[in-house]
Amino acid sequence: MQHSQKRITPRLDVERVQLPNGLVLLLSENHSIPSVSINAIVRAGSRFEADDKAGLASLVGALLDAGTVSRTSQEIAETIEAAGGQLGTFGDYQSCGAVVRLLSQDVGLGLDVASDLLMNATFPDDKVRQDIDRRVAQLRARLDVPRTQASDVFNEIVFKGSPQHRPPMGYEETVKVLTRADVEGFYRRYYTPENTLLAIAGDFDRNEVKGVIEATLGKWSRSSELPTPQVPLPGRQTSPIEKFVAATKEQVNIIIGHLGIERKNPDYYDLLVMDTILGSSPGFTSRIPRILRDEQGLAYSTFSNVTSSAGLDPGRFIAYIGTAPENLDRAISGLRGEISRIVEGGVTSEELEAAARYLTGSFVFHFQRNSQIADFLLEAEIYGLGFDYPEKYPELIRAVSVESVNRATRKYIDPQNLTTVVVGPVHEAA
Amino acid sequence: MTTHIKIGEAEAGTRSQTKSFITRNVQKTILSNGLTVLTKEMHDKPVVATMVWYRVGSRNEELGQTGKSHFLEHMLFKGTDRYKKGEIDLITHLHGGSNNAFTWLDFTAYYFTFAADRWEASLEIEASRMRNTTFVEEEFASEKQVVEEELRIGLDGPWEALENEVWATAFRQHPYHWPTVGWLEDLEAASGADMKAYYDKWYHPRHATLVVAGAFDSGEVLQKIEELFGPVPPGPATTPLRILEPPQRGEKRLVVKKETPVERLLIGYHAPEVAHPDSYALKVAESVLSTGKSSRLYQRLVERDQSVTKADASYHDHIDPSLFYFQAELKPGFKLADVERATFEEIDRLKRGDISTAEMDKAKRQIEASLVLSSEEPLQQAMLLGQYETIAFGEHLPEDSRGYHYLDTLLERVAAVKVDEIATAAEKYFTENNRTVGYLISDGEPDAKERDRAA
Repeated sequence: MQHSQKRITPRLDVERVQLPNGLVLLLSENHSIPSVSINAIVRAGSRFEADDKAGLASLVGALLDAGTVSRTSQEIAETIEAAGGQLGTFGDYQSCGAVVRLLSQDVGLGLDVASDLLMNATFPDDKVRQDIDRRVAQLRARLDVPRTQASDVFNEIVFKGSPQHRPPMGYEETVKVLTRADVEGFYRRYYTPENTLLAIAGDFDRNEVKGVIEATLGKWSRSSELPTPQVPLPGRQTSPIEKFVAATKEQVNIIIGHLGIERKNPDYYDLLVMDTILGSSPGFTSRIPRILRDEQGLAYSTFSNVTSSAGLDPGRFIAYIGTAPENLDRAISGLRGEISRIVEGGVTSEELEAAARYLTGSFVFHFQRNSQIADFLLEAEIYGLGFDYPEKYPELIRAVSVESVNRATRKYIDPQNLTTVVVGPVHEAA
Repeated sequence: MTTHIKIGEAEAGTRSQTKSFITRNVQKTILSNGLTVLTKEMHDKPVVATMVWYRVGSRNEELGQTGKSHFLEHMLFKGTDRYKKGEIDLITHLHGGSNNAFTWLDFTAYYFTFAADRWEASLEIEASRMRNTTFVEEEFASEKQVVEEELRIGLDGPWEALENEVWATAFRQHPYHWPTVGWLEDLEAASGADMKAYYDKWYHPRHATLVVAGAFDSGEVLQKIEELFGPVPPGPATTPLRILEPPQRGEKRLVVKKETPVERLLIGYHAPEVAHPDSYALKVAESVLSTGKSSRLYQRLVERDQSVTKADASYHDHIDPSLFYFQAELKPGFKLADVERATFEEIDRLKRGDISTAEMDKAKRQIEASLVLSSEEPLQQAMLLGQYETIAFGEHLPEDSRGYHYLDTLLERVAAVKVDEIATAAEKYFTENNRTVGYLISDGEPDAKERDRAA
């Protein structure tokens, strides 16, 4: 069939506006579906917390919709939900904020509520207490998910000395003693226009929306001084570490890895290709799923990755497998063996070609939903990718060679100094 | 070439925005071998989603052989006479696409998504594996381990453990009794020959719906589909499944013990099948009870009683009557019996017809909007079209709600629901005799932290 006229590379029409108060507005219209996604983020998160306030950014994010100067929590929920919309608020490691998804006719309503939360949240005392109570219960429920438990234990070791060692939700001991004053303080400090990015994607009229925003968020006053705390960075481990945690489960959950890279690392694309070859492609084409699952039948879920956790701070390199306890030794040596093999033996030109074809061919799928497009706009702004990134992306991937992948793999992946965490029916050992 | 029998026309789409949006431009074609084909040409995104739905799921299995439908799904990635092992994934990979499959009570579905300039391999693969999947014994053995690991993930999940027990208790005759992944003991006993026989029984055009949604030319694609799928024989007829769950004559209660710091509650009521006249009132009730923070269960249990971390009501569409169920995850120090009682009080409010007009309007709007908000991708639209074409079938359904047209009538019927119909449906289904109540509690081995706290 003839499809030569089709344009496959996504091209986004993006408008970036910086308001006089510093707030950055990112707009991308498309009218294919009658819906809009409004993603508002504040550039602060648990990376700015002290250890004894662990969980604060997450709590503030969750409480954004607990009430504003003019609306109760119930009124906020009613307003969005009566329009059939969906509102979520959050506080993560490096950002916090609100996401609103609505039918296009209700975009004004969504903007009104989103700006209200960013500017006028009140954090009523009873809501703060109530949410802290709920979080304590949720923190305990984390132990019910062995994969989460293994991931928490792994982070404590690999990110030791940096705020990333903690779960963004914090710990029961620290969350219990957080106060309304802590919440209010964090909000006042970091929720400011010059620290905020607002991305809107979907079926809306750009000029109309700009007008609305200038009249609302445009009046938000700049803070006198926005603090930018120094975030301590973790060091790479210099010896192997093993930690076994006992839990009454059917499976053992195993995570092997070490410290990863930042998103701005110039070798990011080499490692993206390495990820695709080692353990992060669809189906069972990459080495780890193909060998450990498809050939050896050891697991339903097994993969590896280093680039997906790359952010402002270095993320983590992990290889994961969940398997029956009797397979423990085979699974650990299987993962370690594949890690060593790619570092020592490198990749082949066939593997590189296949990975490049996959990465360039599948890129279009990052731009299917309005919320994905809005997320891309935010990432492009935070990491300086440029809004023409979708057009540049194929070149970035094509520039990767067998040599550059092998060099980056040797540089960032260290089979001699891995952390191995096992959670399941095993004997405790550190 | 066989003649296409076109039984549906492109939709005019005037009744509501959502109607025209989901089913707009859908063309239904039935090949002479019985294969149903739904094409939806849309050029707003340069991608194409291809799905094949088989009307076979754990509902079609027998005791002692549970989990076969799901296991078979795994085997369909292991190669055909044309594609050797690993090649289906490799082609997907090299074309930058994605593929996967899922099995549930009523169906097994496979999908591919590709950029629009390289998507047609998906049709070729689906045509090949419909009848020509190879069942190599050694592949079967290693994949059995993989499926067993998948099942163990479920056994480690507290909700899965409780759900399995509640469904198994509520349904004693109907195959909704067992989970889709099957019982571990049945899986261990399964043979390659069983799997092949099951494949030969069900994987034929007459049991399948092919859905293609995205940026393509319908005329060319229908011709290609005819070339690829037209020569496949229709397959043997099967006797329609008639297993009825008799009315429940009294409340059933059960307890599951597991190492967990969090107690959980699940209450299931037998509720009607897809497109049943009462199902629309129950959908609105589900939304009133549990969609969003302004919903009844959130306001009552999370905000007022502060007894749970989350609470939900769920009612899914199935071929046969299933369960309308309530779930809650308790905060420490609160009692399952109290949360259960509070849930019943909220149900009683529905029975009294205590629902405001604003609440009714909100619930209906939420149902309509969520259909749009969850359908931005061509794949998501293909999922909805394929699902209803597969489950909304049979003479007992109103003619205008059969197949994917269910999605048109859904919104009209939801819009027509009145408060007294919700009250009547609640009175009819949410009764003591009709319910199964499950508690998940700790197995009595408090962890060290718990002991410290108690001390």
